[in-house]
Amino acid sequence: MSGQSIGVASPVVAPRKAKAASGRLADTYLPRVITGVVILLAWEFIVRAFAPAYVAKPSTIVLAIPRVIVDPAFLKATGATLLAVAEGLGVTLVFGTVIGVVMGRSLSFDRAIRHYINGFNAIPMIIVLPLFSLWFGYSANTRIATIIFAAIFAIIMNVADGARTVPREYLEVARSFRATRLSTLFGLVLPASMPYLLAGIRLAAGRALIGAVVAEFFLSIGGVGYYILLNSRTYHHNEAFVGVLLLAGFGVGFELLVNWCTRYFMPWYRRGQS
Amino acid sequence: MTQQQTAATAARTPLAATGADPRIRVRGLGKHYGALEVFRNIDFDVGAREIVAIVGPSGCGKTTLLRCIDGLLPHDAGEIMVGNERVTEPIAGVAMVFQHFGLFPWKTVTENVAYGLRMAGAPKAEIERKVPEFIKLVGLAGFEKAYPYQMSGGMQQRCGLARALAIEPNVLLMDEPFAAVDAQTREILQFELIRIWEERPTAMIFVTHSIEEAVLLGHRVIVLKGRPSSIHEIIEIDLPNPRTRETLRLPRFAELRERVWNTLMREAREAEFILER
Repeated sequence: MSGQSIGVASPVVAPRKAKAASGRLADTYLPRVITGVVILLAWEFIVRAFAPAYVAKPSTIVLAIPRVIVDPAFLKATGATLLAVAEGLGVTLVFGTVIGVVMGRSLSFDRAIRHYINGFNAIPMIIVLPLFSLWFGYSANTRIATIIFAAIFAIIMNVADGARTVPREYLEVARSFRATRLSTLFGLVLPASMPYLLAGIRLAAGRALIGAVVAEFFLSIGGVGYYILLNSRTYHHNEAFVGVLLLAGFGVGFELLVNWCTRYFMPWYRRGQS
Repeated sequence: MTQQQTAATAARTPLAATGADPRIRVRGLGKHYGALEVFRNIDFDVGAREIVAIVGPSGCGKTTLLRCIDGLLPHDAGEIMVGNERVTEPIAGVAMVFQHFGLFPWKTVTENVAYGLRMAGAPKAEIERKVPEFIKLVGLAGFEKAYPYQMSGGMQQRCGLARALAIEPNVLLMDEPFAAVDAQTREILQFELIRIWEERPTAMIFVTHSIEEAVLLGHRVIVLKGRPSSIHEIIEIDLPNPRTRETLRLPRFAELRERVWNTLMREAREAEFILER
Protein backbone atom coordinates (compact mmCIF):
# COMPACT_ATOMS: atom_id res chain seq x y z
CA MET A 1 0.00 0.00 0.00
CA SER A 2 2.79 2.42 0.89
CA GLY A 3 4.47 1.32 -2.32
CA GLN A 4 1.49 2.61 -4.24
CA SER A 5 1.53 5.93 -2.48
CA ILE A 6 5.22 6.38 -3.35
CA GLY A 7 4.33 5.72 -6.98
CA VAL A 8 1.58 8.29 -6.92
CA ALA A 9 3.62 10.89 -5.08
CA SER A 10 6.41 11.10 -7.67
CA PRO A 11 5.30 9.44 -10.87
CA VAL A 12 6.95 12.02 -13.13
CA VAL A 13 10.24 12.42 -11.33
CA ALA A 14 11.21 8.82 -10.97
CA PRO A 15 8.55 6.42 -12.23
CA ARG A 16 11.04 3.61 -12.71
CA LYS A 17 12.51 4.07 -9.29
CA ALA A 18 9.05 4.17 -7.74
CA LYS A 19 8.07 1.04 -9.58
CA ALA A 20 11.23 -0.69 -8.43
CA ALA A 21 10.50 0.44 -4.88
CA SER A 22 6.97 -0.94 -4.93
CA GLY A 23 8.31 -4.16 -6.41
CA ARG A 24 10.82 -4.38 -3.61
CA LEU A 25 8.08 -3.70 -1.08
CA ALA A 26 6.03 -6.55 -2.42
CA ASP A 27 9.01 -8.88 -2.65
CA THR A 28 10.69 -8.28 0.69
CA TYR A 29 8.22 -6.74 3.09
CA LEU A 30 5.12 -8.75 2.21
CA PRO A 31 6.56 -12.17 3.17
CA ARG A 32 7.92 -10.64 6.37
CA VAL A 33 4.56 -9.15 7.32
CA ILE A 34 2.69 -12.35 6.49
CA THR A 35 5.06 -14.42 8.64
CA GLY A 36 4.59 -12.00 11.55
CA VAL A 37 0.81 -12.04 11.27
CA VAL A 38 0.70 -15.85 11.12
CA ILE A 39 2.86 -16.17 14.24
CA LEU A 40 0.79 -13.62 16.16
CA LEU A 41 -2.49 -15.23 15.13
CA ALA A 42 -1.28 -18.70 16.07
CA TRP A 43 -0.08 -17.41 19.44
CA GLU A 44 -3.39 -15.61 20.04
CA PHE A 45 -5.57 -18.63 19.23
CA ILE A 46 -3.46 -21.26 20.97
CA VAL A 47 -3.38 -19.22 24.18
CA ARG A 48 -7.14 -18.52 23.95
CA ALA A 49 -7.89 -22.18 23.37
CA PHE A 50 -5.59 -23.89 25.84
CA ALA A 51 -4.13 -21.48 28.43
CA PRO A 52 -5.46 -19.74 31.54
CA ALA A 53 -6.56 -16.13 31.21
CA TYR A 54 -3.44 -14.52 32.76
CA VAL A 55 -1.13 -15.94 30.06
CA ALA A 56 -0.03 -13.18 27.73
CA LYS A 57 -1.37 -13.07 24.19
CA PRO A 58 -0.93 -10.42 21.49
CA SER A 59 -4.29 -8.73 21.97
CA THR A 60 -3.86 -8.23 25.72
CA ILE A 61 -0.21 -7.16 25.34
CA VAL A 62 -1.27 -4.42 22.93
CA LEU A 63 -3.92 -3.30 25.42
CA ALA A 64 -1.27 -3.23 28.18
CA ILE A 65 1.14 -0.99 26.26
CA PRO A 66 -0.56 2.41 26.89
CA ARG A 67 -0.91 1.57 30.57
CA VAL A 68 2.69 0.40 30.99
CA ILE A 69 4.53 3.15 29.15
CA VAL A 70 3.17 5.81 31.50
CA ASP A 71 3.81 3.69 34.59
CA PRO A 72 6.52 5.49 36.65
CA ALA A 73 8.01 2.16 37.75
CA PHE A 74 8.45 1.11 34.13
CA LEU A 75 9.93 4.46 33.11
CA LYS A 76 12.35 4.38 36.02
CA ALA A 77 13.40 0.84 35.12
CA THR A 78 13.91 1.79 31.49
CA GLY A 79 15.96 4.83 32.45
CA ALA A 80 18.15 2.83 34.82
CA THR A 81 18.88 0.11 32.26
CA LEU A 82 19.50 2.52 29.41
CA LEU A 83 21.80 4.66 31.52
CA ALA A 84 23.79 1.64 32.67
CA VAL A 85 24.10 0.35 29.10
CA ALA A 86 25.19 3.78 27.87
CA GLU A 87 27.79 4.11 30.62
CA GLY A 88 29.07 0.60 30.12
CA LEU A 89 29.23 0.99 26.35
CA GLY A 90 31.06 4.29 26.71
CA VAL A 91 33.77 2.75 28.88
CA THR A 92 33.87 -0.28 26.60
CA LEU A 93 34.26 1.81 23.49
CA VAL A 94 37.15 3.87 24.79
CA PHE A 95 39.16 1.04 26.34
CA GLY A 96 38.17 -1.59 23.78
CA THR A 97 39.20 0.65 20.89
CA VAL A 98 42.54 1.63 22.40
CA ILE A 99 43.41 -1.97 23.33
CA GLY A 100 42.21 -3.22 19.93
CA VAL A 101 44.20 -0.66 17.91
CA VAL A 102 47.40 -1.35 19.81
CA MET A 103 46.79 -5.10 19.64
CA GLY A 104 46.30 -4.95 15.89
CA ARG A 105 49.48 -2.97 15.24
CA SER A 106 51.87 -4.36 17.83
CA LEU A 107 52.86 -7.96 17.34
CA SER A 108 54.32 -8.27 20.83
CA PHE A 109 51.22 -6.84 22.50
CA ASP A 110 49.07 -9.12 20.37
CA ARG A 111 51.13 -12.12 21.43
CA ALA A 112 50.92 -11.05 25.06
CA ILE A 113 47.14 -10.77 25.30
CA ARG A 114 45.58 -12.64 22.35
CA HIS A 115 44.84 -15.90 24.18
CA TYR A 116 43.57 -14.12 27.26
CA ILE A 117 41.16 -12.04 25.17
CA ASN A 118 39.87 -15.12 23.36
CA GLY A 119 39.62 -16.99 26.65
CA PHE A 120 37.67 -14.24 28.42
CA ASN A 121 35.46 -13.84 25.38
CA ALA A 122 34.45 -17.50 25.63
CA ILE A 123 33.43 -17.24 29.31
CA PRO A 124 29.66 -16.75 29.61
CA MET A 125 28.82 -13.62 31.59
CA ILE A 126 26.34 -15.56 33.71
CA ILE A 127 29.32 -17.50 35.12
CA VAL A 128 31.25 -14.43 36.22
CA LEU A 129 28.21 -12.71 37.72
CA PRO A 130 28.48 -14.41 41.12
CA LEU A 131 32.13 -13.38 41.29
CA PHE A 132 31.37 -9.81 40.28
CA SER A 133 28.60 -9.63 42.86
CA LEU A 134 31.11 -10.64 45.53
CA TRP A 135 33.59 -8.00 44.36
CA PHE A 136 31.21 -5.15 43.70
CA GLY A 137 28.20 -6.09 45.84
CA TYR A 138 24.55 -6.39 44.85
CA SER A 139 24.71 -2.98 43.24
CA ALA A 140 24.66 -1.05 40.00
CA ASN A 141 28.46 -1.36 39.91
CA THR A 142 28.15 -5.07 39.32
CA ARG A 143 25.73 -4.38 36.49
CA ILE A 144 28.21 -1.99 34.85
CA ALA A 145 31.02 -4.52 35.30
CA THR A 146 28.89 -7.21 33.70
CA ILE A 147 28.01 -4.95 30.78
CA ILE A 148 31.67 -4.13 30.18
CA PHE A 149 32.70 -7.75 30.48
CA ALA A 150 29.97 -8.78 28.06
CA ALA A 151 30.77 -6.14 25.46
CA ILE A 152 34.43 -5.25 25.52
CA PHE A 153 35.89 -8.34 23.87
CA ALA A 154 33.71 -7.91 20.79
CA ILE A 155 35.13 -4.42 20.36
CA ILE A 156 38.72 -5.43 21.03
CA MET A 157 38.66 -8.36 18.63
CA ASN A 158 36.95 -6.44 15.83
CA VAL A 159 39.13 -3.35 16.12
CA ALA A 160 42.28 -5.50 16.30
CA ASP A 161 41.22 -7.27 13.09
CA GLY A 162 40.59 -3.92 11.45
CA ALA A 163 43.89 -2.46 12.62
CA ARG A 164 45.74 -5.52 11.36
CA THR A 165 44.27 -5.17 7.87
CA VAL A 166 44.86 -1.44 7.34
CA PRO A 167 46.01 -1.04 3.72
CA ARG A 168 49.79 -0.88 3.47
CA GLU A 169 49.49 2.12 1.16
CA TYR A 170 48.18 4.28 4.00
CA LEU A 171 50.96 3.20 6.32
CA GLU A 172 53.51 3.92 3.64
CA VAL A 173 52.16 7.44 3.19
CA ALA A 174 52.29 7.99 6.95
CA ARG A 175 55.92 6.83 7.13
CA SER A 176 56.90 8.90 4.12
CA PHE A 177 55.48 11.99 5.79
CA ARG A 178 57.25 11.10 9.04
CA ALA A 179 54.11 10.57 11.09
CA THR A 180 54.71 9.67 14.72
CA ARG A 181 53.64 6.24 15.93
CA LEU A 182 50.87 7.71 18.04
CA SER A 183 49.40 9.77 15.22
CA THR A 184 49.59 6.77 12.90
CA LEU A 185 47.69 4.64 15.42
CA PHE A 186 44.89 7.07 16.16
CA GLY A 187 44.87 9.34 13.12
CA LEU A 188 45.19 6.60 10.53
CA VAL A 189 44.79 3.05 11.82
CA LEU A 190 41.70 3.96 13.84
CA PRO A 191 39.72 5.70 11.06
CA ALA A 192 40.83 3.06 8.57
CA SER A 193 39.43 0.41 10.96
CA MET A 194 36.10 2.21 11.30
CA PRO A 195 34.08 -0.43 9.42
CA TYR A 196 35.38 -3.05 11.86
CA LEU A 197 34.76 -0.79 14.83
CA LEU A 198 31.15 -0.31 13.69
CA ALA A 199 30.68 -4.07 13.37
CA GLY A 200 32.12 -4.37 16.87
CA ILE A 201 29.78 -1.70 18.25
CA ARG A 202 26.74 -3.48 16.81
CA LEU A 203 27.77 -6.73 18.48
CA ALA A 204 28.79 -4.99 21.69
CA ALA A 205 25.50 -3.08 22.02
CA GLY A 206 23.48 -6.30 21.87
CA ARG A 207 25.74 -8.01 24.36
CA ALA A 208 25.72 -4.99 26.67
CA LEU A 209 21.93 -5.06 26.80
CA ILE A 210 21.92 -8.79 27.54
CA GLY A 211 24.56 -8.20 30.20
CA ALA A 212 22.46 -5.50 31.84
CA VAL A 213 19.28 -7.62 31.86
CA VAL A 214 21.07 -10.72 33.12
CA ALA A 215 22.66 -8.70 35.93
CA GLU A 216 19.28 -7.25 36.89
CA PHE A 217 17.75 -10.72 36.92
CA PHE A 218 20.50 -12.11 39.06
CA LEU A 219 20.99 -9.19 41.42
CA SER A 220 17.38 -7.96 41.61
CA ILE A 221 18.40 -4.35 41.04
CA GLY A 222 16.03 -1.93 39.37
CA GLY A 223 15.86 -2.02 35.60
CA VAL A 224 13.97 -3.50 32.69
CA GLY A 225 15.26 -6.99 33.44
CA TYR A 226 14.02 -6.81 36.99
CA TYR A 227 10.75 -5.26 35.83
CA ILE A 228 10.17 -8.26 33.54
CA LEU A 229 11.14 -10.70 36.27
CA LEU A 230 8.90 -9.09 38.86
CA ASN A 231 5.86 -8.87 36.58
CA SER A 232 6.13 -12.41 35.29
CA ARG A 233 6.41 -13.72 38.87
CA THR A 234 3.32 -11.79 39.89
CA TYR A 235 1.22 -13.03 36.97
CA HIS A 236 1.42 -9.73 35.11
CA HIS A 237 2.54 -11.46 31.94
CA ASN A 238 1.27 -8.75 29.62
CA GLU A 239 3.30 -6.10 31.41
CA ALA A 240 6.35 -8.33 31.34
CA PHE A 241 5.96 -8.70 27.60
CA VAL A 242 5.92 -4.94 27.10
CA GLY A 243 9.37 -4.98 28.71
CA VAL A 244 10.46 -7.68 26.28
CA LEU A 245 9.17 -5.59 23.38
CA LEU A 246 11.11 -2.64 24.71
CA LEU A 247 14.34 -4.66 24.69
CA ALA A 248 13.72 -5.69 21.10
CA GLY A 249 13.01 -2.03 20.32
CA PHE A 250 16.39 -1.07 21.85
CA GLY A 251 18.09 -3.47 19.47
CA VAL A 252 16.36 -2.13 16.38
CA GLY A 253 16.74 1.48 17.51
CA PHE A 254 20.45 1.14 18.17
CA GLU A 255 21.00 -0.40 14.76
CA LEU A 256 19.17 2.53 13.15
CA LEU A 257 21.19 4.98 15.23
CA VAL A 258 24.49 3.39 14.16
CA ASN A 259 23.42 3.43 10.51
CA TRP A 260 22.42 7.06 10.72
CA CYS A 261 25.68 8.04 12.40
CA THR A 262 27.60 6.17 9.72
CA ARG A 263 25.87 8.02 6.92
CA TYR A 264 26.09 11.37 8.65
CA PHE A 265 29.61 11.30 10.07
CA MET A 266 31.28 8.97 7.59
CA PRO A 267 29.89 9.73 4.14
CA TRP A 268 33.02 8.19 2.61
CA TYR A 269 32.31 4.81 4.14
CA ARG A 270 30.84 2.16 1.75
CA ARG A 271 31.11 4.51 -1.21
CA GLY A 272 34.83 4.80 -0.64
CA GLN A 273 35.30 1.06 -0.85
CA SER A 274 35.48 0.83 -4.64
CA MET B 1 72.26 -11.25 -18.51
CA THR B 2 75.71 -12.35 -17.47
CA GLN B 3 77.65 -10.99 -14.54
CA GLN B 4 80.38 -9.78 -16.89
CA GLN B 5 78.00 -7.70 -18.94
CA THR B 6 76.47 -6.14 -15.85
CA ALA B 7 79.86 -5.24 -14.50
CA ALA B 8 80.95 -3.85 -17.86
CA THR B 9 77.91 -1.59 -18.22
CA ALA B 10 78.24 -0.43 -14.66
CA ALA B 11 81.78 0.60 -15.40
CA ARG B 12 80.63 2.57 -18.44
CA THR B 13 77.98 4.38 -16.47
CA PRO B 14 78.65 8.10 -16.60
CA LEU B 15 78.27 10.06 -13.42
CA ALA B 16 76.01 13.02 -13.54
CA ALA B 17 77.08 16.44 -14.61
CA THR B 18 74.92 18.34 -12.19
CA GLY B 19 77.30 20.97 -10.99
CA ALA B 20 79.30 21.09 -7.81
CA ASP B 21 76.49 20.64 -5.31
CA PRO B 22 73.93 18.00 -6.18
CA ARG B 23 70.84 17.73 -3.95
CA ILE B 24 70.73 13.94 -4.10
CA ARG B 25 73.82 11.74 -4.30
CA VAL B 26 73.43 8.00 -4.73
CA ARG B 27 76.64 5.99 -4.49
CA GLY B 28 77.15 2.25 -4.96
CA LEU B 29 73.60 1.54 -3.94
CA GLY B 30 72.57 -2.12 -3.69
CA LYS B 31 69.46 -3.89 -2.42
CA HIS B 32 68.45 -7.50 -1.79
CA TYR B 33 65.08 -9.00 -1.04
CA GLY B 34 66.30 -12.10 0.73
CA ALA B 35 68.29 -14.07 -1.83
CA LEU B 36 67.06 -11.92 -4.72
CA GLU B 37 69.35 -9.07 -5.62
CA VAL B 38 67.21 -6.24 -6.96
CA PHE B 39 69.88 -3.76 -8.07
CA ARG B 40 73.55 -3.05 -7.49
CA ASN B 41 76.12 -0.35 -8.06
CA ILE B 42 73.64 2.44 -8.59
CA ASP B 43 75.47 5.77 -8.88
CA PHE B 44 73.83 9.02 -9.85
CA ASP B 45 73.26 12.59 -8.76
CA VAL B 46 70.29 14.89 -9.01
CA GLY B 47 70.78 18.65 -9.06
CA ALA B 48 68.78 21.01 -6.89
CA ARG B 49 66.75 22.12 -9.92
CA GLU B 50 66.76 19.04 -12.02
CA ILE B 51 64.28 16.38 -13.10
CA VAL B 52 65.76 12.93 -13.50
CA ALA B 53 63.50 10.29 -15.00
CA ILE B 54 64.13 6.62 -14.35
CA VAL B 55 62.84 4.05 -16.83
CA GLY B 56 63.34 0.32 -16.96
CA PRO B 57 61.50 -2.89 -17.76
CA SER B 58 58.83 -3.90 -15.27
CA GLY B 59 60.26 -5.63 -12.25
CA CYS B 60 63.63 -3.94 -12.62
CA GLY B 61 63.37 -2.30 -9.22
CA LYS B 62 62.69 1.32 -10.20
CA THR B 63 60.06 1.68 -7.52
CA THR B 64 62.23 -0.13 -4.97
CA LEU B 65 65.05 2.28 -5.77
CA LEU B 66 62.75 5.25 -5.20
CA ARG B 67 61.50 3.82 -1.91
CA CYS B 68 65.11 3.41 -0.77
CA ILE B 69 65.78 7.05 -1.62
CA ASP B 70 62.71 8.08 0.37
CA GLY B 71 63.98 5.99 3.27
CA LEU B 72 60.89 3.77 3.24
CA LEU B 73 63.02 0.71 2.51
CA PRO B 74 66.48 0.00 3.88
CA HIS B 75 69.28 -0.46 1.37
CA ASP B 76 72.09 -2.87 2.04
CA ALA B 77 75.04 -1.42 0.14
CA GLY B 78 76.25 2.05 -0.70
CA GLU B 79 74.77 5.29 0.51
CA ILE B 80 72.16 7.91 -0.29
CA MET B 81 72.76 11.52 0.61
CA VAL B 82 70.08 14.18 0.44
CA GLY B 83 71.76 17.50 1.06
CA ASN B 84 74.07 16.71 3.94
CA GLU B 85 71.83 14.07 5.38
CA ARG B 86 72.41 10.37 4.96
CA VAL B 87 69.12 8.59 4.27
CA THR B 88 68.24 5.65 6.51
CA GLU B 89 64.62 6.59 7.13
CA PRO B 90 62.26 9.22 5.70
CA ILE B 91 63.79 12.66 6.20
CA ALA B 92 62.30 16.14 6.27
CA GLY B 93 62.14 18.08 3.02
CA VAL B 94 61.56 15.00 0.87
CA ALA B 95 58.04 14.26 -0.36
CA MET B 96 56.71 11.38 -2.37
CA VAL B 97 53.79 11.14 -4.78
CA PHE B 98 52.46 7.61 -5.03
CA GLN B 99 51.10 5.59 -7.91
CA HIS B 100 48.25 4.50 -5.66
CA PHE B 101 47.63 8.17 -4.69
CA GLY B 102 47.61 7.17 -1.03
CA LEU B 103 44.80 9.57 -0.13
CA PHE B 104 42.92 8.86 3.06
CA PRO B 105 39.27 8.17 2.15
CA TRP B 106 37.96 9.66 5.40
CA LYS B 107 39.63 13.01 4.77
CA THR B 108 38.47 15.77 2.46
CA VAL B 109 40.81 17.38 -0.07
CA THR B 110 41.69 20.08 2.46
CA GLU B 111 42.44 17.54 5.20
CA ASN B 112 44.45 15.32 2.88
CA VAL B 113 46.55 18.23 1.64
CA ALA B 114 47.11 19.35 5.24
CA TYR B 115 48.36 15.91 6.28
CA GLY B 116 52.04 16.38 5.42
CA LEU B 117 52.13 19.80 7.06
CA ARG B 118 50.45 18.49 10.18
CA MET B 119 52.89 15.61 10.44
CA ALA B 120 55.74 18.11 10.01
CA GLY B 121 54.35 19.97 13.03
CA ALA B 122 53.45 23.16 11.16
CA PRO B 123 51.48 25.70 13.24
CA LYS B 124 47.75 25.87 12.59
CA ALA B 125 47.88 29.34 11.06
CA GLU B 126 50.51 28.23 8.56
CA ILE B 127 48.44 25.18 7.58
CA GLU B 128 45.34 27.34 7.10
CA ARG B 129 47.30 29.73 4.90
CA LYS B 130 49.19 27.18 2.82
CA VAL B 131 46.62 24.49 2.17
CA PRO B 132 44.27 26.64 0.03
CA GLU B 133 47.30 27.99 -1.81
CA PHE B 134 48.44 24.53 -2.89
CA ILE B 135 44.93 23.34 -3.63
CA LYS B 136 44.71 26.27 -6.02
CA LEU B 137 48.15 25.54 -7.46
CA VAL B 138 47.14 22.04 -8.53
CA GLY B 139 43.81 23.27 -9.89
CA LEU B 140 41.53 21.81 -7.25
CA ALA B 141 40.00 25.10 -6.08
CA GLY B 142 36.29 24.56 -5.46
CA PHE B 143 36.80 20.93 -4.41
CA GLU B 144 38.14 21.63 -0.92
CA LYS B 145 35.38 19.68 0.80
CA ALA B 146 35.28 16.76 -1.65
CA TYR B 147 36.20 13.27 -0.50
CA PRO B 148 38.47 11.07 -2.63
CA TYR B 149 35.59 8.76 -3.59
CA GLN B 150 33.86 11.71 -5.23
CA MET B 151 36.81 12.54 -7.46
CA SER B 152 38.26 11.11 -10.66
CA GLY B 153 41.69 9.51 -10.63
CA GLY B 154 43.22 12.63 -12.13
CA MET B 155 41.76 14.83 -9.42
CA GLN B 156 42.88 12.42 -6.75
CA GLN B 157 46.44 12.58 -8.00
CA ARG B 158 46.28 16.37 -8.12
CA CYS B 159 45.38 16.13 -4.45
CA GLY B 160 48.29 13.74 -3.84
CA LEU B 161 50.59 16.19 -5.58
CA ALA B 162 49.29 19.12 -3.51
CA ARG B 163 49.89 17.13 -0.33
CA ALA B 164 53.51 16.54 -1.34
CA LEU B 165 54.07 20.13 -2.51
CA ALA B 166 52.51 21.65 0.60
CA ILE B 167 55.45 20.72 2.80
CA GLU B 168 57.56 22.71 0.31
CA PRO B 169 60.04 19.90 -0.20
CA ASN B 170 63.38 20.38 -1.88
CA VAL B 171 63.18 16.82 -3.18
CA LEU B 172 60.11 15.40 -4.92
CA LEU B 173 59.94 11.67 -5.55
CA MET B 174 57.37 10.64 -8.13
CA ASP B 175 56.53 6.93 -8.19
CA GLU B 176 54.76 6.34 -11.52
CA PRO B 177 52.31 9.02 -10.43
CA PHE B 178 50.25 9.01 -13.60
CA ALA B 179 50.25 5.27 -14.28
CA ALA B 180 46.80 4.78 -12.77
CA VAL B 181 44.98 7.52 -14.71
CA ASP B 182 43.64 7.39 -18.26
CA ALA B 183 45.71 8.54 -21.25
CA GLN B 184 44.11 11.98 -21.74
CA THR B 185 44.26 12.84 -18.05
CA ARG B 186 47.83 11.64 -17.98
CA GLU B 187 48.82 14.06 -20.71
CA ILE B 188 47.07 16.94 -18.97
CA LEU B 189 48.77 16.10 -15.68
CA GLN B 190 52.20 15.88 -17.30
CA PHE B 191 51.98 19.47 -18.50
CA GLU B 192 50.42 20.55 -15.21
CA LEU B 193 53.42 19.06 -13.46
CA ILE B 194 55.80 20.94 -15.73
CA ARG B 195 53.93 24.18 -15.07
CA ILE B 196 54.03 23.62 -11.31
CA TRP B 197 57.69 22.62 -11.37
CA GLU B 198 58.57 25.79 -13.31
CA GLU B 199 56.83 27.78 -10.57
CA ARG B 200 58.51 25.85 -7.77
CA PRO B 201 61.55 24.01 -9.05
CA THR B 202 62.96 21.20 -6.89
CA ALA B 203 65.16 18.19 -7.32
CA MET B 204 62.81 15.58 -8.76
CA ILE B 205 63.13 11.88 -9.48
CA PHE B 206 60.37 10.66 -11.74
CA VAL B 207 59.95 6.90 -12.04
CA THR B 208 57.89 5.76 -15.00
CA HIS B 209 57.54 2.89 -17.42
CA SER B 210 56.51 5.29 -20.19
CA ILE B 211 59.47 6.22 -22.39
CA GLU B 212 57.64 9.21 -23.80
CA GLU B 213 56.86 10.51 -20.33
CA ALA B 214 60.50 10.06 -19.26
CA VAL B 215 61.81 11.99 -22.28
CA LEU B 216 59.15 14.70 -22.01
CA LEU B 217 59.71 15.40 -18.31
CA GLY B 218 63.31 14.42 -17.64
CA HIS B 219 66.32 16.62 -18.01
CA ARG B 220 68.18 13.35 -17.93
CA VAL B 221 66.83 9.83 -18.30
CA ILE B 222 68.37 6.92 -16.43
CA VAL B 223 67.83 3.53 -18.02
CA LEU B 224 67.94 0.62 -15.59
CA LYS B 225 68.59 -2.86 -16.93
CA GLY B 226 69.67 -6.37 -16.09
CA ARG B 227 69.07 -8.80 -13.28
CA PRO B 228 70.11 -7.57 -10.82
CA SER B 229 69.58 -4.27 -12.50
CA SER B 230 72.12 -1.50 -12.71
CA ILE B 231 72.30 1.78 -14.59
CA HIS B 232 72.70 0.99 -18.25
CA GLU B 233 72.83 4.50 -19.56
CA ILE B 234 72.17 8.05 -18.49
CA ILE B 235 70.82 10.04 -21.43
CA GLU B 236 70.96 13.83 -21.48
CA ILE B 237 67.68 15.20 -22.78
CA ASP B 238 68.75 18.39 -24.52
CA LEU B 239 65.27 19.65 -25.31
CA PRO B 240 64.39 23.31 -24.76
CA ASN B 241 62.80 24.17 -21.40
CA PRO B 242 60.08 24.53 -20.40
CA ARG B 243 58.71 21.56 -22.23
CA THR B 244 55.35 22.14 -23.89
CA ARG B 245 53.04 20.36 -26.25
CA GLU B 246 55.31 21.68 -29.04
CA THR B 247 58.15 19.64 -27.58
CA LEU B 248 56.31 16.46 -28.53
CA ARG B 249 56.52 17.47 -32.21
CA LEU B 250 60.25 18.24 -32.29
CA PRO B 251 62.41 15.87 -34.37
CA ARG B 252 64.89 15.83 -31.49
CA PHE B 253 62.14 14.54 -29.18
CA ALA B 254 61.46 11.64 -31.54
CA GLU B 255 65.17 10.96 -31.82
CA LEU B 256 65.68 10.82 -28.07
CA ARG B 257 62.57 8.74 -27.60
CA GLU B 258 63.87 6.25 -30.17
CA ARG B 259 67.20 6.14 -28.44
CA VAL B 260 65.70 5.33 -25.05
CA TRP B 261 63.30 2.93 -26.72
CA ASN B 262 66.11 1.02 -28.40
CA THR B 263 68.10 0.78 -25.20
CA LEU B 264 65.11 -0.36 -23.24
CA MET B 265 63.46 -2.67 -25.72
CA ARG B 266 66.57 -4.65 -26.44
CA GLU B 267 66.70 -5.22 -22.75
CA ALA B 268 62.97 -5.85 -22.40
CA ARG B 269 63.03 -8.46 -25.11
CA GLU B 270 65.85 -10.26 -23.38
CA ALA B 271 64.09 -9.95 -20.04
CA GLU B 272 60.89 -11.39 -21.41
CA PHE B 273 62.57 -14.69 -22.14
CA ILE B 274 64.48 -15.07 -18.91
CA LEU B 275 63.15 -17.90 -16.77
CA GLU B 276 62.46 -17.11 -13.14
CA ARG B 277 64.80 -19.09 -10.95
